[in-house]
Amino acid sequence: MILDWLLPVLISVALLLAVAGMLKRISLWRAGQPEKVSFFSGLMAMPRRYLVDLHHVVERDKYMSKTHVATAGGFVLSMVLILAVHLFGVENRWVNYALLGALVLMFVGALFVFKRRLNPPSRLSKGPWMRLPKSLLMFAVSFFIATLPAAGILPENFGGWVLAAVLAAGIVWGMGELLFGMGWGGPMKHAFAGSLHLAFHRRPERFGGGRSTGLKPVDLTAAKLGVEKPTDFKWNQLLGFDACVQCGKCEAMCPAFAAGQPLNPKKLIQDMVVGLAGGSDAKFAGSPYPGIEVGKAEGGPNKTITEGLVSPDTLWSCTTCRACVEECPMMIEHVDAIVDMRRFLTLEKGSTPNKGAEVLDNLIATDNPNGFNPGSRMNWAADQNLRVMKDVKEAEVLFWVSDGAFDMRSQRILRAFVKVLKAANVDFAVLGDEERDSGDVARRLGDDATFQSLAKRNIAAMSQYKFQRIVTTDPHAFHCLKNEYADFYPEGQKPDYEVLHHTTFINELVKAGALSLEEFKGGTVTYHDPCYLGRYNGEYDSPRELLNELGIEVAEMERSGFRSRCCGGGGGAPITDIPGERRIADMRMAEIKETGAELVAVGCQQCTAMLEGVVEPRAEVKDIAELVADALIEGDAPVSKKNGKQAKPNADKRVAEEIL
Amino acid sequence: MSDEIIRRDPRAEWIARNRLHPLHDAMQQAGAAETRGPSGLIRRNPHAVGFIGPNGIKRIDRMNGNGPAVGGRRSAGAAKEVELPLHKVENPDYYVVVVPDMVGGRLSGHDRDVIGQAHKLIREGEGAGAVLAVVFGEHREEAFDKAGVDRLLNITGEAYEGYTPELRVAALEQVEKEYAPKYWLLPDSVAAGFEIGCRLAARIGERPATQAWQVSSDEAICRGAGGTTDITRKTPRLMLLAEECAEPIDETRHEVLPLELETSVSVQAVIQDCGQVAVDPNAIPLGEAEFILSAGNGVTDWNQFHQAAEALGATEGASRVAVDDGNMPRFRQVGATGTWVTARVYVAVGISGAVQHLQGIGQCDKVIAINTDVGCDMVKRAALSCIADSGEVMAELIRLANAYRQEVVENAA
Amino acid sequence: MQPDKQNANLRIAALVSVGKHPGSGRARRAEQDARAVEMGLAMAPQGLEVLHAGDPHAEALRAYAGMGLKKLRILQQGENADAVPALSQYLSETKPDIVLTGVRAESGESSGMMAYLLGEKLGMPVVTRIAEIVSIDNGQANLLQALPRGQRRALRVPLPFVASVDMAAATPRQSAFGPASRAEMEAKAADVEVLDEVQASWSEAPARKRPKRLKVVKAKTAADRFKAATAKSSGDGGKVLRDKPASEMAQAVFDLLLEEGVIR
Repeated sequence: MILDWLLPVLISVALLLAVAGMLKRISLWRAGQPEKVSFFSGLMAMPRRYLVDLHHVVERDKYMSKTHVATAGGFVLSMVLILAVHLFGVENRWVNYALLGALVLMFVGALFVFKRRLNPPSRLSKGPWMRLPKSLLMFAVSFFIATLPAAGILPENFGGWVLAAVLAAGIVWGMGELLFGMGWGGPMKHAFAGSLHLAFHRRPERFGGGRSTGLKPVDLTAAKLGVEKPTDFKWNQLLGFDACVQCGKCEAMCPAFAAGQPLNPKKLIQDMVVGLAGGSDAKFAGSPYPGIEVGKAEGGPNKTITEGLVSPDTLWSCTTCRACVEECPMMIEHVDAIVDMRRFLTLEKGSTPNKGAEVLDNLIATDNPNGFNPGSRMNWAADQNLRVMKDVKEAEVLFWVSDGAFDMRSQRILRAFVKVLKAANVDFAVLGDEERDSGDVARRLGDDATFQSLAKRNIAAMSQYKFQRIVTTDPHAFHCLKNEYADFYPEGQKPDYEVLHHTTFINELVKAGALSLEEFKGGTVTYHDPCYLGRYNGEYDSPRELLNELGIEVAEMERSGFRSRCCGGGGGAPITDIPGERRIADMRMAEIKETGAELVAVGCQQCTAMLEGVVEPRAEVKDIAELVADALIEGDAPVSKKNGKQAKPNADKRVAEEIL
Repeated sequence: MSDEIIRRDPRAEWIARNRLHPLHDAMQQAGAAETRGPSGLIRRNPHAVGFIGPNGIKRIDRMNGNGPAVGGRRSAGAAKEVELPLHKVENPDYYVVVVPDMVGGRLSGHDRDVIGQAHKLIREGEGAGAVLAVVFGEHREEAFDKAGVDRLLNITGEAYEGYTPELRVAALEQVEKEYAPKYWLLPDSVAAGFEIGCRLAARIGERPATQAWQVSSDEAICRGAGGTTDITRKTPRLMLLAEECAEPIDETRHEVLPLELETSVSVQAVIQDCGQVAVDPNAIPLGEAEFILSAGNGVTDWNQFHQAAEALGATEGASRVAVDDGNMPRFRQVGATGTWVTARVYVAVGISGAVQHLQGIGQCDKVIAINTDVGCDMVKRAALSCIADSGEVMAELIRLANAYRQEVVENAA
Repeated sequence: MQPDKQNANLRIAALVSVGKHPGSGRARRAEQDARAVEMGLAMAPQGLEVLHAGDPHAEALRAYAGMGLKKLRILQQGENADAVPALSQYLSETKPDIVLTGVRAESGESSGMMAYLLGEKLGMPVVTRIAEIVSIDNGQANLLQALPRGQRRALRVPLPFVASVDMAAATPRQSAFGPASRAEMEAKAADVEVLDEVQASWSEAPARKRPKRLKVVKAKTAADRFKAATAKSSGDGGKVLRDKPASEMAQAVFDLLLEEGVIR
């Protein structure tokens, strides 16, 4: 029969072509900048990363997870067995049956893929991706029939040359998509690039339940700062772009996309792919950047990205909320890429849009983004009688005040938190005028030089004093202190303190019985997860526990926890202020309204400012510190319930206050 | 109102009643209508009877028992304007030359401060000095005497109209030659003083004290480093004085004797003045604007708002909400997240006053709120608030502004 | 304006100084000087030379370089040296067409004399507070001079000239760290170094707060003085007009505007 000799030839050719394509692809990645990865341990860890970590992400969508297990599992298994049966001629009935079984599995999976593609949601890319389920089915069916004679189910020479020709055509189609396409940039590229991407991921800490969210530092002595051309990315970043499956989960979560700002994380990654391979985005078959037509963008490995491939506005629309990264089943690092490109725009071209330049200038000249006199940093606490590190030298807790000190609304949060700290008799002190902006905004705006300078000076200020923990009410400062400052300690030194967000700290205090709280008496309350507390640092529980302690049953929003939507205030987005159709804060407030909440609890001054910027009527916005401070039962020491004697003066005091 | 109040002097009344009081006679003498003549007869002076009433009509107080006129002294306001004493300098030993800005042809407050400083220097020094004011072009000032100008050198001629710094400095150079003033004082102002002063200093080779704000004959304290330091130095001959450097003259009149230059100067100006360019108040950057009309959520008729801004000659501003709703461009946004403004007068129309917005207008002198909500924060911040529909008030403002313009045009004609 | 053929041969010298942030007192690029550099870059990026007399190691100078300059020319001299002789000596040799400076420095004496002294020494006309160089034709430049409150005056002046650049000029481009750290600081010792002896006798201190002048009313009677002393506070405490006809309220607003002198 023809197939007997044709099949091995076809398979060999397809394999050879696939390998050639892969080598070419690898050479494209290698045009990127060098980055050290542990090569072998990465490869060794890859199956586990794929089967466990990646699966966990995909598992959020049960339908897709099962479909993918069946299809991909079936394909990998059948491919191995096809090589055995049809290329190396293993003649074992059980192997043949196993192959048939794998093909059936793949077929069933492919059927579900097919079903999904009948009426696909807008986030999915069309184009070649619509063809993929058919190719999968064709591959499975063709090999299934071609294997039947070998398994002895059908007689040899069944169907004659007509069937053989049809089968050969089907096999060519199927292998063309699945093998050739894998190396030469078809949808199946994701399998090849994706597995290598998992092996050589830039943030291996993310696997095995870990977290790695701090940005990587820029070498300020380099000849070029930031990413201008696709080849300025690290090679494994380029590899990561190729891993994209265009599932559009990022697009569905992106607040800027939803607000109609010209950003679509999926399109951005695909544009990076266009850039690294050269060409235009004409073949892109997904949602465009809102307001920007598809097909006009052109790029190449050595062409400036922001000239023709991606508009700078796209890069500046990002709020760095990490919703896309959290959602990406291939664990692609969108935010790293965006900040890398921003770094070039800010550090080399000096084209930070709108108020960006002014804010950076202020940070350089006054260590705060609004250009206030740095000597007035402690003015908010004139009546608070705070202990300053310069005087006390040592305290258990360093209260990191952050730039909220200059903002009248944030000062209310700070005062509330101080009240709580005092009520719990915490031994704390502040840095006072020695504190500087954490550098968060500078870093997200791409100005790593200013960030590093601020970080180093903050570190120098902190290392003069002794303390065990830092507590801050600002999740952005929290993130920088906790995850990003370690890179800038003088050699041989490491941060020797724990960094806590105030919700975590207050929760601890409440659990330890250091605070006595009244029941909350207001109406329905919902909680908004700040991105830099939640997705960046995994703190979802403490704020909720604390609200429960206050007797609040949180009415959760649809997008909450790791799927919380950004308030629009991160990443310098309010500073660069790229116009869209809606405001992110308004959309978030609409979601708050859906829960029927009269009050939204937050844990971030930036979120407070953004959400309070929504026109009334809207839910009241309060920081958790304010809620706790309002609920404090004040007394010298926490009152145990048995001790009626002590409780009484408090009750009297409250009555007195009511009369007043 | 208080001008009309008759101030009683109980002591004077008491003395008037008490004929045995040692001061009784003296007190009665003053302005008394009846006096005992040299022959012992009582003489009546009808002119001295009564007093001038508030309407300028003579009134006779028939209630003699209430005592003489001293008890019913009128307050200063109702009295005729007092003629201030004339300060004369016959033959000045030296001159202190002041070159006032003459903004709009009149002495500005800054000019008066500088003249006050000139007199202060003369008082502190020895000999009789005279303040010589050098004024270029036609002026409209009528009260040089009360401002403290002893001598006036008015250099006129078409050549000095408009922007003519080179000619002016040449003329001042001639003044230097002819009068050799002890001091040159100029206002350190954007209007003209700074430029003329610097040019003159460079020309005659004097090192000026600039932004001087406390000057005695020995020492001058000047603002340096962009207003962040005080430099104390020996008082130089040429000074550019900051505003409010000294109290203006207000208790004396001065001669304002005209002087002239002996030789006229003729210089060919290199810089050509092509006239002032019309600038739309709306083109002025928000941070620089002096007068801002700002709109918020409460504004419904945007055409009317723009009209009002145009009629009042105000720069337009907006609250964040107005910008987000697309009614105003982003660069018009006032507040902590927009532009921090420094306007002297800020009119907030329909802005309730979010914290960020109030922070952004922290440096504004006078805030006027037009709002329907009396309890909003903007009303608390404002010096004047109108609790009314913004549309109606703006319509009235447009009418008033147009009427005012009309009036000005008519008066000028 | 866009650089065009006419400007290709134009040579501009922008003089820069070390600025000082009014809030923090930290050295920075001076705002007016940066505008001068911006104006130079916009007119003739090729023919622009940025010049500083003083310490070549001053970090703040890098901030000018970050605007995209390949190099800065620095006439090295001591801290107490007078910048004018060194600069005028250098400029009389290089003979640029336009010399741009700020109106007043942010540090030191900030007398604002620089432009005039240079003009006097170099024999060039000086134009003050320019906001824009509109065009250059027949060896004459058409300028816009900034007047208070955003007003402008058109001037015409022959090349070469010295101009001081006002804050109303185009805002300077952002200073980028990369080019700033790579720019060349071409330092050479100034040909003439004259110590500023006058300055040595001065004493300098942080600015004292000046008392605001009270509205002194020279009233002849106690009543008038009392009224003058109390009138302000009663009028300033936030007058609220309500339930009155709109015309009356508008009149009150308009009167206040007139009183403040913003209606012209």
